[in-house]
Amino acid sequence: PMCPSGSSCRVSLRDLFERAIILSHYIHSLSSELSQEFDAQYSQGPEFFTQAMSMCHTASLSTPAGKEQAHQIHQKDFVILVIHLLRSWTEPLSHLIIEANHLPKAPDTLIAKAMEIQEQNQRLLEGVKKISKLVDPEIIDNGDYSVWLGLPSLQSNDLESRLFAYHNEFRCLRRDTHKVDNYLKFLKCQIAYDGSC
Amino acid sequence: SPPGKPVIFKCSSPEKETFTCWWKPGANGGLPTNYTLTYYKEGEDTIYECPDYNTSGPNSCYFSKKFTSLWSVYIIRVYATNKMGISASDERLVDVAYIVEPNPPKNVTLEIQQPEDGKPYLWIKWVPPTLADTASGWLLLQYEVRLKHEKAVEWEIYFAGQQTNFKVLSFYPGYKYLVHVRCKPDHGLWSKWSEEHSIEIPSDLNMNDE
Repeated sequence: PMCPSGSSCRVSLRDLFERAIILSHYIHSLSSELSQEFDAQYSQGPEFFTQAMSMCHTASLSTPAGKEQAHQIHQKDFVILVIHLLRSWTEPLSHLIIEANHLPKAPDTLIAKAMEIQEQNQRLLEGVKKISKLVDPEIIDNGDYSVWLGLPSLQSNDLESRLFAYHNEFRCLRRDTHKVDNYLKFLKCQIAYDGSC
Repeated sequence: SPPGKPVIFKCSSPEKETFTCWWKPGANGGLPTNYTLTYYKEGEDTIYECPDYNTSGPNSCYFSKKFTSLWSVYIIRVYATNKMGISASDERLVDVAYIVEPNPPKNVTLEIQQPEDGKPYLWIKWVPPTLADTASGWLLLQYEVRLKHEKAVEWEIYFAGQQTNFKVLSFYPGYKYLVHVRCKPDHGLWSKWSEEHSIEIPSDLNMNDE
């Protein structure tokens, strides 16, 4: 069974999950605010950003899109998947912060939020790694993540293209942080509470 | 004349597993008019038709679990067709992750508790709405309670977190109290308030610690 080293492992797992969920909930809330703040600041009409929708760089990660799919993933693999999702944003976040300074009239609050998300994302990544070790000491994390190739778009000379790129990154960040938050809340109940919170 | 333009006015999911969209028909041009909902998903070209026009009532499309994916944008449109022509609604972009609006909590019960070693309190209990699977952790609900006595104007509103019960310590004997409860997912929309429940507080209730 999960958590082979007995009840003390389960207590610390519950504690680790609770802490991770506080972080993941906070990170997603910040990401939602960041996305809305950017759109409010730079949108040039109601449908302006509708055409900006393009695939997220994490689309290649096979993530469950519903509860039944979530139940079908082995819990160890699911924890690793969360780690991959989190790790996939380490590089984009650092570039977003650097490049955002070049946006016209870039609001300080927008950059501050992105920096806060970057910091907390890193903490959450470390936390979920700890969880994975408790779930299974022999768990193997091959360091995988989705490669991000979005830097040239963030540096585009054409302002509209650049705004579309930022919009899409913040939209994808909002989506993936929601996934991570949702998955951690689900895994907490499945792993640390035997499937029933 | 051709039909008027339909309007998709709402899409929502009660439990983050299925969802429904509703539309308002436009003018029907005095002719029998047929409505068709079509959709495609972000990053895909295939256009699908509504899988179920019935489950959620008239002028609606219900997407069961089989047809529901979170974190994927659905681009939805409704067409109205009669003998004179066709008209299409504006596109509606929907990500089910962000349209979760649960049904109200159920089975609200009220009772006065008089512990031996403390003040009496009004104990409000309820259960999550139907269909909401909070046990698995897929859906996390938070609750809010509002109450007032019959003669009061303002509601007192209390946030109960994820608990499904709440204790109210400050109330007046001799009054009838009205109570509602509602819920909200961690990242979603408040439900409507539950049905009203009420309780008469006995006038002779001793409000001091025993």
